Amino acid sequence: MDASLLTIQPGSAEPIYRQIVEQLRRLIAGGQLGAGDLLPSVREVAAFHAINPMTVSRAYGMAESEGLLARLRGKGMAVAATTRPTQTQAQRLALLEPQLEALSRHARELELPADVVLRRLGRLLEN
Amino acid sequence: MNALLQDAHERFDPPLAARGLGHGYEGATVLRCINLDVAPGSVLGLIGRNGAGKSTLLRALLGLLEPTTGEARVFGTPALAMDDTVRQRIAYVPQQPEALAWLTVEQMFDYLSRFYPSWNHAFASDTLARWQLPENKLLGKLSPGERQRVELVRALSSEPDLLVLDEPAAALDPVARRELLREIALRAGEAGITVLFSTHIVSDLERVASEIAFLHEGRLLLHCPVDDTKERYARLWLPARLASSTPTSTLSRRSHADGSVSVVVERDAHGRWPEAHAQPGVRLDVLGLEDLFVEIAE
Repeated sequence: MDASLLTIQPGSAEPIYRQIVEQLRRLIAGGQLGAGDLLPSVREVAAFHAINPMTVSRAYGMAESEGLLARLRGKGMAVAATTRPTQTQAQRLALLEPQLEALSRHARELELPADVVLRRLGRLLEN
Repeated sequence: MNALLQDAHERFDPPLAARGLGHGYEGATVLRCINLDVAPGSVLGLIGRNGAGKSTLLRALLGLLEPTTGEARVFGTPALAMDDTVRQRIAYVPQQPEALAWLTVEQMFDYLSRFYPSWNHAFASDTLARWQLPENKLLGKLSPGERQRVELVRALSSEPDLLVLDEPAAALDPVARRELLREIALRAGEAGITVLFSTHIVSDLERVASEIAFLHEGRLLLHCPVDDTKERYARLWLPARLASSTPTSTLSRRSHADGSVSVVVERDAHGRWPEAHAQPGVRLDVLGLEDLFVEIAE
């Protein structure tokens, strides 16, 4: 993978380290990155995008702890061999958190009671 | 001083520290009781409106002006009493450099390189060429932008442990600015140098800063890790009918014409937002750095 594959938007309300993790997640989920693919070094990403190397380290560390990436001795970071089965239910649920937060917010703005929204969501999930 | 003691000093003395630092000109207060520690290896971005006191703060931190109250220290030494061993470790680029105007660029570099044991000649000549700076021109004849670029190259060439830049982005086109940011980011991340720079171009800060500080009307309003600005603070908007339940401890408060209120709130020690955010009709918006700054500084 090349550092240019990442897009950094400094002005976004999402911190840069999270932008990197989210993009890795999508690139892996979408198949652009496959198991065993090597990631650019922290320095390469930091230099290409002119961002603080600590931000890149933080993103890689987070992706590693989520099981997206694995550290290969002497080679750096690579896409983990088996991303899906190593994730616990809690980890997979955490992926939904942004959407759930947005849903809750919209529901509050529409002043919809929780039980009504949950009933509808339940039906959607069953189908 | 023996090597062991020197080592201990370098480990424990922050590159920059201020205690109760204050300054004023002709009866007007410019800085009010600034307390600040800049940790080694950090990149601290100082944001403030024009006239907020940014340049004065940088100068006071480096001992270039005498504060009316408090004290600044550089690597543990009082800023007003630094010796050459401390000075060699610092590079400062003011907004409008004026010194040595009668020398050519080449002469200034040749002259200054003798004072710095770790002067990087290769970096100096490469970067002067890349930034299209004429080595044979007199410093006094350069445009203000060229002059500041020369000073930035000079500062980086001395391989400082502490780099202080006052509005460095103003003189650079987007390509050179990106290059400067890259240089700052990599030197801080790899060589562990400490950087303090002031700017009002917020996106530059978001790229390279590890911490940010808001200076407003001579006061430090906020000093925190840059990611905290997006994860720990948010804007809460309450419609007019709920304006009375606005949380009391907020960083800023603005009342709008329709009776609604927006405030900047902070997560508590358990990571929770103030209770009011859960009420129907209330909005909680995470802010980019620029919006957060505008909310607080208006």
